[in-house]
Amino acid sequence: MTAMTIGLKGAYYIFWREIKRFTGQKMRILMSVVQPVIWLVLMGSMMARLTDNPVTAEMIGVDNYLAFMVPGVMMMSSLYTGVFGGISIIWDRRMGFLIKLLSAPIPRYSIALGKISALVLQTMFQASVIAILAAVMGITFATGLPGILVTLFICGLFAAIMSCISLFLSASIRTPETLFSVINFLTLPLVFSSSALFPTAVMPDWIRVIARFNPISYAVTPVRDLVISGWEWGTLATGIWLLLLMFLILFVLVYYRFEKGSLL
Amino acid sequence: MEDSRKMIEVDNLSVIYPGGIKALDGVSFSVPEQEIFGLLGPNGAGKTTLIMVLTTLLAPTGGLARVNGIDVAKDKNRVRMNLGYVSQELAIDDELTGLDNLRLQAGLYHMDHSIRHKRIEEVLELVGLTERARDRVDTYSGGMRKRLDIACGLIHRPEILFLDEPTLGLDIQTRHEIWHYINRLREEVKMTILLTTHYMDEADLLCRRVAIIDRGSLKAIDAPEILKKQMGGGLIVFQFNQSARPETIDQAMNRLKNQDFVREITQKNSEYLLLTDNSEESLPLFFEALDGLRLNLKKVTLKMPSLDDVFLYHTGRQLREESVSREEMDRVRSSMRRLRKTR
Repeated sequence: MTAMTIGLKGAYYIFWREIKRFTGQKMRILMSVVQPVIWLVLMGSMMARLTDNPVTAEMIGVDNYLAFMVPGVMMMSSLYTGVFGGISIIWDRRMGFLIKLLSAPIPRYSIALGKISALVLQTMFQASVIAILAAVMGITFATGLPGILVTLFICGLFAAIMSCISLFLSASIRTPETLFSVINFLTLPLVFSSSALFPTAVMPDWIRVIARFNPISYAVTPVRDLVISGWEWGTLATGIWLLLLMFLILFVLVYYRFEKGSLL
Repeated sequence: MEDSRKMIEVDNLSVIYPGGIKALDGVSFSVPEQEIFGLLGPNGAGKTTLIMVLTTLLAPTGGLARVNGIDVAKDKNRVRMNLGYVSQELAIDDELTGLDNLRLQAGLYHMDHSIRHKRIEEVLELVGLTERARDRVDTYSGGMRKRLDIACGLIHRPEILFLDEPTLGLDIQTRHEIWHYINRLREEVKMTILLTTHYMDEADLLCRRVAIIDRGSLKAIDAPEILKKQMGGGLIVFQFNQSARPETIDQAMNRLKNQDFVREITQKNSEYLLLTDNSEESLPLFFEALDGLRLNLKKVTLKMPSLDDVFLYHTGRQLREESVSREEMDRVRSSMRRLRKTR
């Protein structure tokens, strides 16, 4: 077996374990379904009033706020799944389980890769639930099933990026509380300064600038197009390339953190 | 010892933590095939640090360590395939079933699919968890979890097994069960086992050789019997009844002092401590020597040297963590001191 095969196989078993745990935690599955419901139904129906007014509807660019919101909700759920995903390392460390992974004949980066893969799968599951919910509420993708699949891919990629950040932090943080405070400190402003919830048109200038450099915007915009407008290849291609690049850079960072640094 | 392979070799190993704390200071020893080797020492002695170096979890600062002939610093994954490690803390996943934990382990250790199922069954049988294998681990008792942990360490049939405090915190019955399994392992699967412990009974019962470790260095390595023999044969502790007459007591003392088996007799309050070379064999001689005297012996106890005494001798400190009466401690200390002076 080559070194890379060993690494990939190791990552597979770590992925397998994470998924087994996830499927065993009924509460978690329920929450991952309930959360988008709350966002879509509650926030969506409340904010739908925005599009009732033709002026604001013009600004938002769509006649249905719900359609505008679905990509945002998908991105947010991908964001949260990814960014809190690294906490599993903290629990493993506490439980003593991390020792088992570190003393197994697998490279350290397998641990990161396996966990990232599991988080991507969980995210895609959640995104599918949201897509189904949206369909039930009357929102259909302008790009049909292929569009939905591409959307799932983008959500997965986005979650992978956030997982890298989370794992990188968790490698050094010992308590869940510290991780939560760091993440909350970062994520909420990130979400609100992106085009996930509100169109850039309604933003004050300084926030709009941030939104331009915000990775969340680059994930949300292509998906929004897939939902509402159709195959806008320009934004789609740019979005996906940028996200892939971001993921690669972050994964390299995580790779070295896991291989060279101490995880205990 | 020359002919058998050295399964574990440690040569002048040092580990210095940032801040200058010397966790291990020039430790050297080796363990031959199929030996159960024990590291006995209190918490903080360096036992866990040593195991972590040998299981490639920690890089040594100096010196050399080899497991099954492979340098732990050079080829980590190969070393790991050759060993099983059961850490002090449980390393099983509560939310999976016992079976899934073993499947995971089999996968992580690149076991061939064709033999996985069989090995899992075998190892479950060895630790007695076959019936409960499909239940979630959070329904297991503490002892069962430890057994599963051991099963996970064995599944890939390593030649060497590292056990860090294998019965820490377990009740007596479970401890005995686990000792039983460890012995079975050595016999049935022909393993070399290195275990760390701060329990004397465990070191005594299981280990063919014991290394006393304290503050990062090895103080003594030998079979438990030999280490204890070096302490002398033990003490006969006796007490006279209050009704015993002083003249009779003097007579008894004179008789005893002239006996060959008696090295020294000291008195502490109403107790007499008779130091001898072999307290078990000296006990009948003791009664023979006092035969005929109208003695009122209130009680006679045999105090065999324990590994705790060995530890105390080599380090000047007590190993036991249970509370020991001050008097008893003083008594042991003074007899030890005397022992050292008589050499």
